[in-house]
Amino acid sequence: MVEMEEGIQRLGRQDRSIANEVQKSVRERRPLTLRRVITNEYFLHVVSSAAFLYLWHEVAASGVFKGGLCTPWEVVVRFRGLLTDTLAGLTLWGHIGASAQRIAIGFVLASVVAIPLGLFMALNPYVNAVVKPVFDIFKPMPPIAWVSIAILWFGVGEESKIFIIIIGTFVPCLLNAYNGIRLIEPELYDVIKVLGGKRWNEILQVSFPASFPAIFAGLQISLSLAWTCVLAAELVASRSGLGFIIVQGMKFTDAALVIGGMVMIALVAWVSSLLIAGLEKLLCPWRRDIRDL
Amino acid sequence: MTAKIECRHISKVFIQKGKQRVHVLEDISLAVRNNEFLVILGPGQSGKSTLLRIIAGLETPSEGQVLLDGRPVTGPGPDRGLVFQSYMLFPWKTVFGNVELGPRLRGVPREERRRIAQHYIELVGLGGFEKHYPHQLSGGMKQRVGIARAYANNPQVMLLDEPFGQLDAQTRYFMEKETARIWETEKRTVLFVTNNIDEAIFLGDRIVTLKGKLPGRMDRLWEVNLPRPREHTDMAFLKLRHTITAACELTL
Repeated sequence: MVEMEEGIQRLGRQDRSIANEVQKSVRERRPLTLRRVITNEYFLHVVSSAAFLYLWHEVAASGVFKGGLCTPWEVVVRFRGLLTDTLAGLTLWGHIGASAQRIAIGFVLASVVAIPLGLFMALNPYVNAVVKPVFDIFKPMPPIAWVSIAILWFGVGEESKIFIIIIGTFVPCLLNAYNGIRLIEPELYDVIKVLGGKRWNEILQVSFPASFPAIFAGLQISLSLAWTCVLAAELVASRSGLGFIIVQGMKFTDAALVIGGMVMIALVAWVSSLLIAGLEKLLCPWRRDIRDL
Repeated sequence: MTAKIECRHISKVFIQKGKQRVHVLEDISLAVRNNEFLVILGPGQSGKSTLLRIIAGLETPSEGQVLLDGRPVTGPGPDRGLVFQSYMLFPWKTVFGNVELGPRLRGVPREERRRIAQHYIELVGLGGFEKHYPHQLSGGMKQRVGIARAYANNPQVMLLDEPFGQLDAQTRYFMEKETARIWETEKRTVLFVTNNIDEAIFLGDRIVTLKGKLPGRMDRLWEVNLPRPREHTDMAFLKLRHTITAACELTL
């Protein structure tokens, strides 16, 4: 016992030991060299971004595209103006809000129905047998194909846009929830059985937590699809939203407006996917320390 | 002495893809005494894991039956704890969460649960790692959690299915010593499946050898009358090892 205590002392404060297995914690220290700066990940990010912007600027300034391309700076100026000036009665924030609201409503409605349905299908073969043939008919249809029918049914208002988003996000939400449960290692259920658990313990302790990562992967795919859908809907008919900004730019040959609209969509879509990733970290703490998974 | 666990003429035939018959076990009969450490030793593909799963109640035998304290086993239950070859820890639960799961499923109140889990985490030498998630642990530590989880449910019989099969030689040897220590601290009836003869002799009170190749059949029963703690380099140990190896090679 005394020997062991001494052993632990020798390991230092940060290190943990149980008998012959030691967990060490060390900080890596390397000298700062030119080679390290050049090969630094973030440094390379900055270099490639700057090169891209420079190339863009040069091409736009050369005038090959005539009025079809503007410099990056012109885009920034155009959109800085839109923060206070209005386009069709709304500032930039108003248009972002309009698109985001459509996404939020459609996305929530779809996932609230699709995720539980996917879980039920995976857990109960009878539910699966009933729902699957109908689902398989709709599965391969691209959501954009629904734009026309949505306008016929719901007109050009909010309903048709939300409907298209629901259609587009439903499939990946359901499929991922379904696969999340189907791919669970069956022996994990044996653990619950051997410990004396019932079927509902298996579902609560194994099925649900094990399917969380897959569900979140589905949400991420759904979200990017939702942005595609809302854009398609807004391009066809709308009086607000980021898609509307792009259409306006096209109508008035305002390249800064079109390109800026595209960049804004990328930005907002990125922020919204960060929100989902943050939610996943909160709900799945066991995945926090696993990188590149 | 009456048998804690008794297997009576157990046979198991799996039916694969609806028509292919795979004969895994053939007429296995054995009795495990109370608080005995019985090792089932057999090569790969000899049906030992299936035998353990039948005793655990996860599979039903095609013929024969398993008796626990004289009563037939009909399904899995908390009176038998199982330690899995590939650990089967819940990655979304901490060490503590994994270990307290058994008592939690049985509705043991929180404070009592905490006390039990803490006791077994200390017993397997994982004190201080309660809040770690399984992916933060090494293989040997993971299986310690597996053992603590099975123990915490207070089973009368512990079933271990090649628990150290995935470990390197040193860790394996160390975990064998730990298993002997834990078993001597809290005696249970243990059924330990392995394909490693050193592990079998080091741990077992008795060893049952299975014949190689499916279906698995009983070969012989060996008494290991060596004092504990045992040493791998002990003359008596090596002699027994030689005898068993020679006898097994004859049948192969």
